[in-house]
Amino acid sequence: MQTWNYIEYGAWALSALFGLYIVVDWIRTDTTYSEDVLTSSREGELEAMTEEKRG
Amino acid sequence: MADTDIGSKTMDGMGPHGTKVGLLRVLGPAHVWALGVGIVLVGEYMGWNFAVGKGGAYAALIACWFAGILYTCVAMIDSEVTSTVAAAGGQYTQAKHIVGPLMAFNVGLYLVFAYTMLEAGNAITAGYLISVVAGMSGYEGVLDQRPFIILSILFLAWLNYRGVLATLTFNLVITAIAFVAIIVLFLSTSGILGGGIMQHKALMEGAAALPYGWIGILAAMHFGLWFYLGIEGTTQAAEEVRSPARSLPFGTLAGIMTLLIAATLTWYICTGVLPWEFLGDGVNGSVAPLFDTARLSGSDGLIWLLGIGTLFATLASANGCINDASRAWFSMGRDKYLPGWFGAVHPKYRTPYRSIIFLVPIALIFALGAPLDQVITFSILSGLLGYTFMPLNIIMFRRKWPLDSIKRGYEHPFHPLPAIVLLALCAITFFAVFLGYGTQLVAMIGFYIVVSLWFHFWRYRFVSRGAQFTMPWPKPKGY
Amino acid sequence: MAHYTPPHQGKLGQLIDVIVLVVLTLGALFVPLKLGMSGAAKVIAAPIENPTWEALGQSPVQAAQYEALGYTPASAHDLILARFDYSFTMGGLIAMIVVIVLYYVLMLKFSETEYRDVIAEKFDRK
Repeated sequence: MQTWNYIEYGAWALSALFGLYIVVDWIRTDTTYSEDVLTSSREGELEAMTEEKRG
Repeated sequence: MADTDIGSKTMDGMGPHGTKVGLLRVLGPAHVWALGVGIVLVGEYMGWNFAVGKGGAYAALIACWFAGILYTCVAMIDSEVTSTVAAAGGQYTQAKHIVGPLMAFNVGLYLVFAYTMLEAGNAITAGYLISVVAGMSGYEGVLDQRPFIILSILFLAWLNYRGVLATLTFNLVITAIAFVAIIVLFLSTSGILGGGIMQHKALMEGAAALPYGWIGILAAMHFGLWFYLGIEGTTQAAEEVRSPARSLPFGTLAGIMTLLIAATLTWYICTGVLPWEFLGDGVNGSVAPLFDTARLSGSDGLIWLLGIGTLFATLASANGCINDASRAWFSMGRDKYLPGWFGAVHPKYRTPYRSIIFLVPIALIFALGAPLDQVITFSILSGLLGYTFMPLNIIMFRRKWPLDSIKRGYEHPFHPLPAIVLLALCAITFFAVFLGYGTQLVAMIGFYIVVSLWFHFWRYRFVSRGAQFTMPWPKPKGY
Repeated sequence: MAHYTPPHQGKLGQLIDVIVLVVLTLGALFVPLKLGMSGAAKVIAAPIENPTWEALGQSPVQAAQYEALGYTPASAHDLILARFDYSFTMGGLIAMIVVIVLYYVLMLKFSETEYRDVIAEKFDRK
């Protein structure tokens, strides 16, 4: 049956599409923003915030 | 750092520590439930039946309930610690604050391995399922499963990349459907609604009762974990939940209750219809036992429902695994336990995008290159090492910070009984793994010893000492 | 305790660290697999020629389920008769226990020394 062969190709194509989207967006993000901004996340923010509000 | 503004509208998520882009706090308790149960529920659709092969149907039920006790302890202990340590990374962050950096590094790796391997196992199952559907629809050639394996991983990676709220809302919907499918199958085959097809007595009598004797029950513990493996992953969402101290214990404990019901029903349905030798061989026999049971029910509606349920369960699980593994990898990068490059957050989607991307090829290597039972064993072993850490963790937590020193969102009862029970059950499971997969066990621990030395003598120099302790806790007792 | 300032790690160093970790991981998982030491293979102790459901030890109900699944006695032969071998040596068991205990002891010990530094730097500066 031919249908399943087309579905196979469809799956390959969709995989490539999702992969491409991720890679393109990744490169765009990395070139648009500085490394400082991207890796600025720190652990325990909520805790520190409630602490500072209290004190 | 003093120029940051907590209430800033323009830079949401900005905190006093200099965070310019952080993870987004958008999740509620239902998402926590969906994350926990979503990862695990696939365990009822495939994989748990290896326990039947290891010791027969009764052994699988005993293993199911003992593993249930093990995971109830895990859920209680985890809920207590997590209700105070609310950060992405879950057990990794707990270990860092309570036991020490090297333990934290190991725990982080356990998490990433357990979830990435599970993700690979899910993709393998999804690919298999589609080939079965192709066969049932009259396709005569051999379907290439690879594009479907790759597609499921890439689609879910894309979903995770685009944001956590959509990811876990999607999980909530498909997990609920998969859970309802089990209930419907139970109601329609057990004789509660219409005629039942259960034949437990005839299928489990004589030599089929306990084919390996008592040692089979011990051996079954190995795959008994599979009924629940991954429920501890709820803690990874800690940094993205709106009120972690309340939602995490609630979502986790509701999750373990859901799973205890689903696991027992699954055992009941499948052992009542499928002979144990077929059921217990998850490679050549019953790859998807609930689906096979539906096939024998003779109802097209049930076949479709359970087929969809199986597919949804594998997707929900892989989805949750990508979420959890990337959170753990991300938090290790953020602390420089791993290269700091991984500690990045996407400025628009607010996800740990580099960690998500990095783990895609790793998952693909295992999904395309290793057999299912081996992949499952790697996942179980990493999980098991993590569960062995938990009792040590809670005992040290209660000793360093007694109940009156910090307020907990949830306090687990009967301490230290759950810790001791958990440790004992872990020891039994180690023995069970040793019976079948001793070489992997030793290879795995050898690996962790080597990377531990690598971390202690090389990698740890890049980590700030005091700054990695981020919880606003008093000084621990005894230091 | 003096404040510890970690060195900055460049892109190349980060890349090398990732490669080391990935190679170790793949090694730990695929080497036992490739060497065929992964165990857990089932063996058929006594194959039966021209099997029937009775010879395979299946009751009529069990045989009926197998037939519903599309099996014949011949095609179900391997599935039904294959068994795990749970025999093990005391030496192997003791080796495993030693390895696991040693691993956790090693880890807790190193963690403890590192943890004391962390606590000292975090709390004693105030």
